[in-house]
Amino acid sequence: MLQQSAHTLIQEQTNNGLTGDLSLTNITNLLQFLSLSCKRGVIKLVRHPGNEEGSVYFVAEELVSAVSGNLSGIEGFADLLGWEQGTFRFLPDVGCAEKTIGLSVQHAILEAVTLLDTRANEKTMHQNTELEKRSLSMEQAGRESSEVMNSLLEVPGVDAVVVIGRDGFVIESAGSSSRVNIEELGASLAHAINGVEEMGGELNVNSFQDMFIEYGRAVIMCRPVGDAVAAIITPDASKLGVIRHKTKKLFTELGQSF
Amino acid sequence: MTVMRDTVVKALAKIQVQSNEKGLIPEYEVLVNLLPVSLLNAFSERIMAAAPPERKAEVEAGLVRAAYECGYHTGCGIITSDIFSEVVMPMVTEDEKDILRGAFAAFTAWGWAKSGIVQLKEAEKMIVRAFDYYEADSGGQGLRGFMLRGLCQAFFDLAYAEPYPDGMDTYVCHQTKGIEVGDAYGEFVVVKK
Repeated sequence: MLQQSAHTLIQEQTNNGLTGDLSLTNITNLLQFLSLSCKRGVIKLVRHPGNEEGSVYFVAEELVSAVSGNLSGIEGFADLLGWEQGTFRFLPDVGCAEKTIGLSVQHAILEAVTLLDTRANEKTMHQNTELEKRSLSMEQAGRESSEVMNSLLEVPGVDAVVVIGRDGFVIESAGSSSRVNIEELGASLAHAINGVEEMGGELNVNSFQDMFIEYGRAVIMCRPVGDAVAAIITPDASKLGVIRHKTKKLFTELGQSF
Repeated sequence: MTVMRDTVVKALAKIQVQSNEKGLIPEYEVLVNLLPVSLLNAFSERIMAAAPPERKAEVEAGLVRAAYECGYHTGCGIITSDIFSEVVMPMVTEDEKDILRGAFAAFTAWGWAKSGIVQLKEAEKMIVRAFDYYEADSGGQGLRGFMLRGLCQAFFDLAYAEPYPDGMDTYVCHQTKGIEVGDAYGEFVVVKK
């Protein structure tokens, strides 16, 4: 019987099958119900709208094979799990020639759900990456350094932001700090960064990425932005983690201007 | 190490920019005229106002040219001077880039313009920001940073074009922002001609 053509049997048994609507149940429930009843056969599905066809072959608790359009095996089965509208017809005692799954129904469902999750995550990640790229390119095209610096000022805990050239020239600043003189900071920071970079060179550990200096009355966080260096002044280190996290993207954006 | 602006400014600010009996600044062998900025601005605006609309661009180019000629020769005097060799050259590690940093620090030290390099692509492009250049409070309409346009172009020519005096007019400078038109700073972009 297993070797018998399904096509032939469908024609022979069109009036004997169990039929229904996918909006009232779903393929998982249906398959679990039929397999637990030790049935064997094929569930033929037609998706609405579009009239795409699919089928699931099983023998008692073993899922033998599944087909959805051009997809077969677990991929085909996973695709069928997403069908929410359409009709089904169960044709008992229909076998298929090729075993493409060969797992227990429960195991096959788990495999298919895992596959769907992985795909959904990949899709979300891809969409997020695209969105980030698009938003970054829009920002690059539209935002000036002063706007980006104002966004940096909105990060909780940031008192002032200053961009200095490697020679200590204060290129731009935003906000104010009663703790630090911005002009003097430019010169002092340039000297400090020169020292730090020389040390990096001597130690052969590449160029500096981040620098935090914690004083009693202020914390200064620096990061290279293009050919310049941006520094953030904050009153204490309590919000440093949040600042570091929230400013990362803005520093990258700021780097486009220098 | 790179050129430290504050070190240059402190060292150069000590020098008296005063002409000798020949009217030259002894340190740089260049002519000095101690005239108020308002005179330069008044001259520029009058000559611009006197020009018919179709010739204003020509007059503007002439004003930039005057600054350029001055900047090219004075700039060469500055970067080849003993004081520049003493103060700036020991800090130079990035060749022309550092020499230009030193030159703009000198600019600031002498009160010509509080200016510095924002972006520099060697021999290709330079963006300079300035905060109190001569024409920042010019009464004229539109961008008026003629002096700094000429000087930025001259300095870039000195740094990256053929050696003095054959490298003139290799680069050109455009002003893209100006305090005189309401921006927070003046921005000058030098590119190849």
